[in-house]
Amino acid sequence: MTIDITVKIGGEAGQGIQTIGTLLSQVCHGAGLFIFSVDDFESRIRGGHSFNLLRISDEPVKAPGNGLDILVALDQRTLSLNRDNLAQDAMVILNSDTDVGFKENILSIPLKGLAKEAGGAITANTVAAGAILSILGAPYKILENLLKNRFAAKGEKIINLNTTAAKKGYGAAGEIRFSKKFSWTPQDTGAVIINGSRAIAMGALASDCRFFSFYPMSPATGIMTSVVPFMDKLPIVMEQAEDEIAAVNMAIGASFAGVRSLTATSGGGFCLMTEGLGLAAISETPLVIVNAQRPGPATGLPTRTAQADLLFVLNASQDSFPRFVFAPGSPMEAFELTKKAFALSEKYQVPAIVLTDQFLNNSQVTQENTFVVDENLPTFICHDDDMTDPGQYMRYCFTQDGISPRAIPGRGKAIVRATGNEHNEAGQISEDAENKIAMSKKRNGKCKAMIQEMDLPRVLHGDSNTLLVGWGSSREIIIEACTALRQKGKDVGAVLIKEIWPLDRDRWRDILKDRTFIMVEQNSNCQMGQIISRETGLFYHGAVLKDDGRPLYPEYIIEKTTQIME
Amino acid sequence: MVQPNDYNNDFENKWCPGCGNFLILNAMKQAFAAQNIPPEKMMFISGIGQAGKTPHFIQGNIFHTLHGRALPVATGAKTANHDLNIVVNSGDGDCYGEGGNHFLAAIRRNVDITLLVHNNQVYGLTKGQASPTTALGTVTRLQNQGTTSQSFNPMSVALAAGIGFLARGFSGKTEQLTDLIRRAMAYPGFALIDILQPCVSFNKINTQKWYMDRVYDIEETGHDSADFAKAMALAMKWGDKIPTGVLYEQETVPFHQRIKALGKKTLISHAFDARKVSRAIL
Repeated sequence: MTIDITVKIGGEAGQGIQTIGTLLSQVCHGAGLFIFSVDDFESRIRGGHSFNLLRISDEPVKAPGNGLDILVALDQRTLSLNRDNLAQDAMVILNSDTDVGFKENILSIPLKGLAKEAGGAITANTVAAGAILSILGAPYKILENLLKNRFAAKGEKIINLNTTAAKKGYGAAGEIRFSKKFSWTPQDTGAVIINGSRAIAMGALASDCRFFSFYPMSPATGIMTSVVPFMDKLPIVMEQAEDEIAAVNMAIGASFAGVRSLTATSGGGFCLMTEGLGLAAISETPLVIVNAQRPGPATGLPTRTAQADLLFVLNASQDSFPRFVFAPGSPMEAFELTKKAFALSEKYQVPAIVLTDQFLNNSQVTQENTFVVDENLPTFICHDDDMTDPGQYMRYCFTQDGISPRAIPGRGKAIVRATGNEHNEAGQISEDAENKIAMSKKRNGKCKAMIQEMDLPRVLHGDSNTLLVGWGSSREIIIEACTALRQKGKDVGAVLIKEIWPLDRDRWRDILKDRTFIMVEQNSNCQMGQIISRETGLFYHGAVLKDDGRPLYPEYIIEKTTQIME
Repeated sequence: MVQPNDYNNDFENKWCPGCGNFLILNAMKQAFAAQNIPPEKMMFISGIGQAGKTPHFIQGNIFHTLHGRALPVATGAKTANHDLNIVVNSGDGDCYGEGGNHFLAAIRRNVDITLLVHNNQVYGLTKGQASPTTALGTVTRLQNQGTTSQSFNPMSVALAAGIGFLARGFSGKTEQLTDLIRRAMAYPGFALIDILQPCVSFNKINTQKWYMDRVYDIEETGHDSADFAKAMALAMKWGDKIPTGVLYEQETVPFHQRIKALGKKTLISHAFDARKVSRAIL
């Protein structure tokens, strides 16, 4: 029988909630268990209400848990906020100043007091981790080993401080145990705990991206911080720009000069980048941009999640030009699609956008470790040797497929002229009417071949009467909801989109025609539904929309879908 | 030896007859030839405006970018390949207005590029509106009751931001300008030459004569370009007498030398090593 529990650790910002979550995740990981961990926090460094929602199972889990089995309330407010969401035999660990003891499934522990006894109030998190793990029946030895590794660099004193604190936590929980028990056998499953941010950074590095320019913005900053550990090991440069306009234009400049480049931002920063997006498009300079979505407009909800920039990124910048848009549904997919974005952006000399969100970027999940760096990266650059006469090189020469051979400036005799103005084949400004038509046609003509590069949506139980259609980071949540609905006897399948644009309207229509389909999206205006209607002429029957900035949960989809189907 | 004529190209020039830009273009060609740099080793990056068109009229690699954005593009290109000789052609509106934030950041980064700001104190491409360097109260077609903002002083701002090489030139003094461009390019770090120039179509105040009556060469009158306070005093000087020449020059460490990864060779010259990447990230 599968054991699948959810632990919520809540309190004020600055109380070390994420640290407790990380300790628990690592202990579980070391015991071969699977985790899915979501951090929910406000845009502040101290105070307020934040939590870590940690789902632990002995089977792979890919969506957040909702009903709470164990609640760790670092403040009273966490307890009152979550009382209604407790599962039947849930247990609560309550941080208390005065009370000590266990009644009505609430274990009151003075975390700070015990931490002080251990030698420092700062170890209150370790005390909490000890108490939780004790309740879950995890042998103390696993936590002890983890703490020894974690603080190895800080010396014996810090290790002892933390192991003492952990023991205090175990001691406080005593013999109290949660009803469900994992078998806590240390094992290496070969899996890794990873989030979307890190996977994108790895995907970029595996794509030979060497220049990273960015302006800090939640929830995209994690992508850049994930690159930092590799800066001593690989030839890469990261530059914090003065604004997002500079970030995107630096990336374009580096790419023009022949180095693969990445910039990452969220919707507001992407607004500032749209001018640069157009420059990359008309100058046919490869460019990969990650837009990690959060609710808007303007500043919106800075630390929360959304899927509300789809229509924006598809249409961003003036006039029309081809672009790729990808929306990964897991860290592994984020890795793969980042690689694909780099390869195709360079092959077609068009911008590629990877559309993620706060939920995907920040959620930690146990993934099978199948990350692969390709031995030979195809590149799409021409050199003097490839030309009959480098002196006659024309950056935008007309070709059958609209792709002009791309030379790198300063690397040979060929002179490279790139221009944001409309230009002739040589890259010189041209206001000629015929030339404008021909150049638009050349650029837009790439679409036909670009479509062939795109994977179709993944379809589960496609012959069902009702299909749930979603995209990007909600994939696994939709799959879990779909499975649960089928177990309840509902004839439901799912269509999961990760490669959005350009889309093959005929083949998308084939998937959805003669089916009732329900859109599942984290926005208020059903953006993918609008695109499907526009492109295929097929209209969605209903929509499960969630626009509160919080993650989707399988239960929410199940409830809303059931209502629509009735 | 590279000749100035090697920088000629056959693309039709689109500036007004008599524009100061022709003289700046000429000085550029002379300066590149004097350094024996062949056109295929030069990269010209520009923003928008009449100055922004400069790269089209000269032989060499070019990226004619967006309004105000030449410096970030140049920063990216120089970081990718710091062997490139990058000259940025910008104007008073492009660089000090639309690109103001990038101007400050580029000085702070000390990217090893040469920035030529064609400063005619007016918007030429959009037909005569005030620019950041237009004097307060100047009447234009748009600001018909006179401009209401004080003029921007690029020289004092650049010094305050910590620039390592600061010069002012005048399009009418081509020989001096050629020399300034050559020295700016030789300087390892960010070099600004604010180049005063008349706009024959839209600036009826700051004419060729207006400048000729005012500009003087500080190297003729004597100036210690290593003296920051004296440089600042000259930077503040405007009106009856306008100083030209190298106001300030100070040894600095350019951006690419501040970056560890660029210590041994250029970013572009590394070969992709899949095994190394794999070991690092997996």
